[in-house]
Amino acid sequence: MLAAQVLVNAAVLGCLYACIAIGFSLVWGVLNVINLIHGSLIVLGAYLAWGLYQWIGVLPWYVLVVAAPLFFAIGYLLQRLLLNKVITAPVLVTLTLTFGLDLILNNAMIYFFKADYRKLTLVPSLGSISLGGVVVPVDRVIATAFALVLTGLLYLLLRRSRVGRAVVAVRLDHDAAVLMGVDVKSIYAIAFGLGAALAGCAGVLMALIFPISPLTSSAYLGKAFVVCVLGGLGSVSGALVGGLALALVEGVGAVVVGPSYATTLSFLLLIVFLIVRPQGLLGRKGFE
Amino acid sequence: MFRFRLRRRAIACGGFALAVAGMAGLPSTASAEDVIRIGAPLPITGPLAPEAIKQKQGYDLWAEQANKAGGISVGGKKYKVEIVYVDYQSNTPRAVQATEQLITQDHVNFLFGAFGSGAAKAASTISEKYKVPTLAATASSSQVYDQGYKYLFGTFTPNDTLTTPLTKIVKAKAPDVKKVAILARNDLFPLAIAQEMEKSAKANGIEVVFFDKYAIGTLDHSATLSQIKSLAPQWIFITGYINDLLLARKQMVDQQIKAPVVTMIAGPAYQEFIDALGPSAENISSAAWWHPAEQYDGKDIFGKTSNFVKLFRDKYKTEPDYGQASAALCGALFQLAIEQAGSLDRDKVRDALAKMDVVTFFGPVKFGSNGQINSLDPPVFQIQGGKPVVVFPQAIKQGDLKLGVN
Repeated sequence: MLAAQVLVNAAVLGCLYACIAIGFSLVWGVLNVINLIHGSLIVLGAYLAWGLYQWIGVLPWYVLVVAAPLFFAIGYLLQRLLLNKVITAPVLVTLTLTFGLDLILNNAMIYFFKADYRKLTLVPSLGSISLGGVVVPVDRVIATAFALVLTGLLYLLLRRSRVGRAVVAVRLDHDAAVLMGVDVKSIYAIAFGLGAALAGCAGVLMALIFPISPLTSSAYLGKAFVVCVLGGLGSVSGALVGGLALALVEGVGAVVVGPSYATTLSFLLLIVFLIVRPQGLLGRKGFE
Repeated sequence: MFRFRLRRRAIACGGFALAVAGMAGLPSTASAEDVIRIGAPLPITGPLAPEAIKQKQGYDLWAEQANKAGGISVGGKKYKVEIVYVDYQSNTPRAVQATEQLITQDHVNFLFGAFGSGAAKAASTISEKYKVPTLAATASSSQVYDQGYKYLFGTFTPNDTLTTPLTKIVKAKAPDVKKVAILARNDLFPLAIAQEMEKSAKANGIEVVFFDKYAIGTLDHSATLSQIKSLAPQWIFITGYINDLLLARKQMVDQQIKAPVVTMIAGPAYQEFIDALGPSAENISSAAWWHPAEQYDGKDIFGKTSNFVKLFRDKYKTEPDYGQASAALCGALFQLAIEQAGSLDRDKVRDALAKMDVVTFFGPVKFGSNGQINSLDPPVFQIQGGKPVVVFPQAIKQGDLKLGVN
């Protein structure tokens, strides 16, 4: 029974990790930018959900409708006005720029929201469902369902829509895309906007689950990084597989070797992957 | 003069930063004749920032009160108080550097310790070397005081003074509690208090069915909690800081883990904890070194406990907790020691601190030979009806321990 419970926990947590990582993976894969502001955008999304619930009682899943366009706009403008200026520079330059932006956003959040930990507690609480002794919290199930829907929508967008095809084209071959008449700068901005929108939505969903504070942004960023390396860049399903793999290693590791080694174990796995399979489980060659 | 300065020294800037720091120190040393300067290294930025802010509030309140009353009287002459803050960015090695900077460049008369047991211990090596009397407001672990240092004093009693009364109350109130599960953050204080809990439980015939640590920065406790649930303990004891405990409590509710007694240290003393958890904070027990419900008639500048609470509330619009109170106490104790010594001589003030035996708003204060306070009965409390209710000691008890955390 314990084994079943641990596996179910890991499956649900894995989807949440995927939700945290998917936007990060998209930006890294398409723009080759390691977007260090990702964690802070997630926290900002969480504050949006928390604020709207405290203020006028809007439930987090409705907040998604507001968060997606809002964060898309933030991301689009960031890329258009700042990142596009240095996008052709070596990866260290964009990394430093997003690092600086993260410092600004994170400290602004500490200034405005304070560093106190807050929690979005729904009244009445959603409770948990029990299936033959295995307990699953409803809020995690809802967050997981939305995470899967968001991932599915992104997949459809990239595969079916004209803009999505252009994003994929730029990712596969930048020069060929330019020759085919794709406006690369605008595609970059759209991709970064999508990444930011996914971060914002992830934050809204995480507000239900984790304590909220600007100080948690680095934890989200760390998880996103590991998930991307495990799952691989360049495919939507990579984030999902990476998230599940990470949650499974942490969950089983916590029970078998103790919770203090669970994180160590996941980072060991990260190192092994970087050496043995740098493209990740589902990543495509050329995106490692 | 009532002035605070925050300075952050960039190591990379080396000589330049030193020169600037030196210049900034000049005007203050010129007027040092009638000012007592106390250095306070604090983690004002970084993950420990919320704790530093609390401590700073305590120091500031004391300095404000002392200066309002004309200052500290030393041999008939009044001296104003100035607290010199240095931010060590939640980085323990930098706390050591900050302490040295305060002594050698800012020429402070005395020192407040760095935050928590780990940093306070590291920084105490420097203050001992320069023989600067230091009062640590938030260091409880005995490893800080067993170094044989003569200039370090602390206002938190040892960790076992928190766990032993708690175990006794649980045993008296709930004799059916036979099994305890202990989960600790792998960090100096949370782990030390968990180990004390293990000892207290064993000494009182309670079986420890689970004892494990989780890494700092853990985002999910579900696997560990499932394991604890499968062992069906009647008492669940979790240590960590407020973010860890909020997450752990939320996941306990998620997994429908119930127990007659659930104890968490150290978070429930903070109002944010109760606000964040709402109804699921109900009946969680905890222990802390001080509680605003205490009623002492102090001989220090704050006088009665109720007066301290009122002054704090007027200034910060919130209830004080043990960290803020302990910081204010450290200021008040320096004041008493300096007045008693009648001198700013570091050795005389050190001796006055060592001999101190006085009732304060925080409780009776007397330091053991190792420098750690040994005169306090820390209160045990429980969240009841969304408020912390003291269940021990008898003298300030507000209610009885209730069983059942659902």
